[in-house]
Amino acid sequence: MNTLGRRSVLRASLGLATGAALARPYIANAAAKTATVWWVQGFAQEEDVAFRQLVAEYEKASANTIDYSVVPYAPLRQKIVSAITSGSVPDLIPSTPAEAYVLFAWDDKLVDVSDVVATQKHEYSETALLSASCYNRIEKTRSYYGIPFTSASLPNHIWRPLVEKAGFKMEDIPKTWDAYYDFFKDVQKKLRAQGERKVYGLGLQVTTNGNDPNNVFNYFLIAYGGVGIVTKDGRLHLDDPQVRDAAIKAMTYPTTAYKDGFVPPGAVNWNDADDNNAFHARQIVMDLDGTISTEVAIIKDREDYDNIVTMGLPLSNDGKPVPAQVANGIAMIPKGAKNPDVAKDFLKYLIQPQVSNDYLKAGLGRNIPAMPSIAKNDPWWSADPHRKAYVEQGLLGPTVPEFFVYNPAYAQARNEHVWSVGWNDIMQGGMTPQAAAEKAFKRVEEIFAKYPIVQS
Amino acid sequence: MASASVIGFSSPAVARRIAPWRYLQGGLKGSEYNWAIAFLVPYVAVFLTFVVYPAFYGLWMGSDPSLYTELFSDPIYQSTVVNTLLFIGIAVNLKMFCALLMSGFFMRRGWWVKALLMIYVLPWAVPALPTFISIHWMLNGEWGLLNNAIYQIFNVDGPSWLNSRWFALGSAIYSHIWKWMPFWTVILLAGRMAIPQELYDAAKVDGASGWRQFVHINFPLLANLYLICTLLSTIFTLGDFNSVFFISGGGPANSTHVLATLGIRDAFDLAKPRLGVAAVMSALPLMIPVVIVLMRKLRTAEVQL
Amino acid sequence: MAFGVLVVVWTLLPLYNMVMVALESHGDVFTDAIWPPHPSFASFWIVVTEGYWYLEFFWHQFGNSLYVGAAVTILTLLIGSLASFSIGRMRIRYGWLVSNAALLTYVIPASFLAIPFYRIMQNYGLANNLWSVIFAEVTFATPYGIFIFSQYGRSIPIELDESARIDGASPIQIYFHIYLPMMAPALVAVGTYALLLAWNEYLYQFLLLSSKRSMTVPVALAQFLNSDEAPWNYMMATAIVYALPPLAIYYAFRGRMTAGLTMGGVKG
Repeated sequence: MNTLGRRSVLRASLGLATGAALARPYIANAAAKTATVWWVQGFAQEEDVAFRQLVAEYEKASANTIDYSVVPYAPLRQKIVSAITSGSVPDLIPSTPAEAYVLFAWDDKLVDVSDVVATQKHEYSETALLSASCYNRIEKTRSYYGIPFTSASLPNHIWRPLVEKAGFKMEDIPKTWDAYYDFFKDVQKKLRAQGERKVYGLGLQVTTNGNDPNNVFNYFLIAYGGVGIVTKDGRLHLDDPQVRDAAIKAMTYPTTAYKDGFVPPGAVNWNDADDNNAFHARQIVMDLDGTISTEVAIIKDREDYDNIVTMGLPLSNDGKPVPAQVANGIAMIPKGAKNPDVAKDFLKYLIQPQVSNDYLKAGLGRNIPAMPSIAKNDPWWSADPHRKAYVEQGLLGPTVPEFFVYNPAYAQARNEHVWSVGWNDIMQGGMTPQAAAEKAFKRVEEIFAKYPIVQS
Repeated sequence: MASASVIGFSSPAVARRIAPWRYLQGGLKGSEYNWAIAFLVPYVAVFLTFVVYPAFYGLWMGSDPSLYTELFSDPIYQSTVVNTLLFIGIAVNLKMFCALLMSGFFMRRGWWVKALLMIYVLPWAVPALPTFISIHWMLNGEWGLLNNAIYQIFNVDGPSWLNSRWFALGSAIYSHIWKWMPFWTVILLAGRMAIPQELYDAAKVDGASGWRQFVHINFPLLANLYLICTLLSTIFTLGDFNSVFFISGGGPANSTHVLATLGIRDAFDLAKPRLGVAAVMSALPLMIPVVIVLMRKLRTAEVQL
Repeated sequence: MAFGVLVVVWTLLPLYNMVMVALESHGDVFTDAIWPPHPSFASFWIVVTEGYWYLEFFWHQFGNSLYVGAAVTILTLLIGSLASFSIGRMRIRYGWLVSNAALLTYVIPASFLAIPFYRIMQNYGLANNLWSVIFAEVTFATPYGIFIFSQYGRSIPIELDESARIDGASPIQIYFHIYLPMMAPALVAVGTYALLLAWNEYLYQFLLLSSKRSMTVPVALAQFLNSDEAPWNYMMATAIVYALPPLAIYYAFRGRMTAGLTMGGVKG
């Protein structure tokens, strides 16, 4: 274990201890019970330590016990599906992957948690509240089925040294969408002229594996004016000419960049980690990737850490701010849980702003809060330039929730990678953006037809 | 061809003693019958508890006809089936054929052959997860070991191994063969070693050389084993998830999925486990004939010489 | 001779990549090099001293893997040989039904059975318990064992059993004093197969084991896939350390193993 690890552990313990002491008075349950919790393993050790501390503090405050396991992401995902299918479920699980909870809520497999949300409703951002609300097809109504406890969005990560090596300064980067990304094409040209054979300007994940491509597509879609593709009532609006237009543009820009040689050829079949590998190997100048894990992963290498610039989104092509699409980390209680009350109790404890703040800070801030006041009140969140930019983008600036919170059909479209397949049709299949978009639209419409939402 | 039994029995006295035991075949007396049952019970218990019960549960999961409508309407189902057939057809046959050749190679004498065999077996012995990830990195078009080596030796850029459907499928087939060829080679090698030396000596006396030896000695004796191994391998390969998943991820653009990976993707990525079961069950029309042939072969086959 | 070189290159290429990554430092992993630029054994040291967060309980998990491997091997050999003895030597009526049914285990791919298995293990109260994995592996290893035992057993003359029977030996005595000793090479072959199966399997280990203390090394390796940013050099080093025991066992038993797979035995 390295010194940094020990220090952060110490910090975490002190932080949580203080937090617990200063937290608003917490009323314990009369009868002490045990809840089974599966939690997802963090990206850094500190996140797991923070969770352990959180549980310890809760147990002290409430006299309940939490029997928890910290499980790696991929196995947890499989376990959750197996558990919910087979009916033997724990009391509390984080939605793994992010969209799992809307699909489970759709099938009436989750416990309603409106009472938990009510305790902190005023603290939550509007986006977080929208994220927590899902449609239940059995009850034919929307309600709160998940508890948001983190936020995540996609900042741009850029290697300053590469930009400077090309003869530019960070200040030269244009402010509007297309010009912003075109800039990196120039960087690539200049670097290639200097003999850097292997560098590419744009690290756009034009693959069909993992979640990155879905997020990147959505961001481009929103930037070009397609944020209305799915509205709060769950309706799909592909018939809206503005949305159609935006979608076609979102199909066009990345694929044209790829065909023109500004995106690594291997991107077409990147898996989840490959874009990060490419970024760390300095093969790409920029990466539009979720959270600041890219930076946090090399936090020990101070020089490189400082060399990465984290930036929010540029303005749209007509100069307007582009809202960042935010995915909230959601905790859910499956139906059939033996101790849902204890689980709810634990959640109520967790989402108190002070407790939440300490928990997230101990996790090195890789996940940002779902409550704006936390970031506003604690200067720690703006102390580090990476964190500051990320918080500005994902919490304090204009945000919209994921499309799948309005209608789970979009979750299926994501998992089928409908849009990325469209990209592939253009890059390798020779289709025109128009044709590929039409094909994608057709499939999306087919999927939406399977998820009828009765408007009450 | 006379079957050469290892120990010849010609004495009538022994033959008389054999008869009663055979007569009791299937009709073991008294306590012996109880013993026989007792010996069988552990496996039957395991089988019922851990195969029959889950299998029925799984079959129940996959029994809804609407699942199959949904499955067939998935845009990638057709290409997945094609991939599966190609994958099985090429991987199994190429692998078994090469295993046959390699088993011939390893019959040679010499310490260096034995040393080579030790190395050769490594792919099977080392866990799949890290080796397949290693292959995935190795085949990366931009910074993978293979293309780096090609560039250093030939000064040209190697192709992107994982970028197109056919290259990626080929890479997955390569990985499968890499991992499993040693296993089948060892089995076929054992089969070859079972051929008594006398047959070879007799053939040499008759003046038969390498090729004729193969045709008249090796082939007939190995054919049955080869066929059984091929059938078994077909079954195993249908369930081979790792080779495709870690190498190509089913990509690019879901074009290299096979039924095994499609099943897992439907079950866990789409959170529709019943659909995943249906995907795998849709392979039954192919599997059942294979299993029937295999069982017949095993029942009647005298793999022994 | 050239052919030998070809075989070595074919076999070792991916393994060399693994070793190369294990010897490199984090920053060097995805570069142009075909030799590690600054090779060091630091990653191996981290694995062995449990110096990294994911590897916190490495030796405990290694012990779990050993436990599972040993249990699977012993149970497979025991259950498989008993069943094979009953079917092949004692020729119980309808025995062929059982051995054919055993093969049906393989018709159903393991991935298909995963979710039902999970449910069943919950029902039996074996959730997060190493025994759930052990039973799963035994289920998949035994049919192959029965197959090998029955093939190999054909080369052992039934007359031996008979003479013993006529001399008054009970079946269990025949099993222990005649069958097992003569089957030794087949036992080694099947035992090695079962051990390797259990050692390298991970789908069921992922699904059935959740806590750090009950995990086995393959699940620990899965942690590295948790994030986009894992230290790949540690992962490969872990994999290499993990691969050593089965290699050692295979090396020790390789002679017997080939003999065991020989159907019919070689005399001279």
